[in-house]
Amino acid sequence: MFGQTEAITVDMVRLALDAASMRHLAIANNIANVNSAGYAPASVDFERQMAAARGALRQGEPLQGGMLAGVHPVLRRGAPAGEADRSALLDTEVANMAQNTVQYQALLAALKQHMSILGSAVSEGKR
Amino acid sequence: MDYRNAFAISATGMQVEKTRLDVTAVNLANVHSTRGADGKLFRPLHVSVAEGKTEFAVGFEQLAGARLHGAQVLRIEETDAAPRQLYEPGNPDADDKGFVSMPGINQVTEMVNLSSALRAYEANVVAMNAAKTMALKALELGGAS
Repeated sequence: MFGQTEAITVDMVRLALDAASMRHLAIANNIANVNSAGYAPASVDFERQMAAARGALRQGEPLQGGMLAGVHPVLRRGAPAGEADRSALLDTEVANMAQNTVQYQALLAALKQHMSILGSAVSEGKR
Repeated sequence: MDYRNAFAISATGMQVEKTRLDVTAVNLANVHSTRGADGKLFRPLHVSVAEGKTEFAVGFEQLAGARLHGAQVLRIEETDAAPRQLYEPGNPDADDKGFVSMPGINQVTEMVNLSSALRAYEANVVAMNAAKTMALKALELGGAS
């Protein structure tokens, strides 16, 4: 029981952290290319793949390690935009970036908390 | 995840926007130039930007799918904007009818370019700072809570 919980939490947070940092690269690339003609915007496909885990949680079932099999962040490129000046998209990208940064930090906080629980177990609850 | 890539991508963006700013400054500085160094009329410059050639690895090389390249300045070219004709009979560069040719620089367009480049540059700086915050936050992991 403990082994399973431990593995899936850390694995899931690690995947989500990878997805968040990849998403940051994608957003940084979109911002850098805001004036590039024919640029195809980049995005990251990840949350969609967690449907199995979400479904299990909703039904009150425990998470299985196998649910994360084949789940990994994938970088996608959209259709090339014709117009050169996409500066109108700048605010959307910056907003996405702010959200992504906060999510990354939330994941780190969760991981830190998880580690501190483990630390507490290792030290048998002693300070 | 290698954060140097995030910095490098934002740096290419900043470089591109800085070039656009420089070219706008050159255009604005020459708004009243009647003769260039070569004796010809100054022609407004235009920057073409495209996605770069450098490949930035995003990690999971075989799984990642698409690639990221940052941005680059494709070329800086002279445009064929028609010169403005100003009636200034006293000007040494005036033609027989007293008209002086000025470069076809639209000041409003240049000012719009200027603020667009400035904002885009700022957005790149923000992206770089966000990457820095994320990397520093990750470094705190495993420290004393």
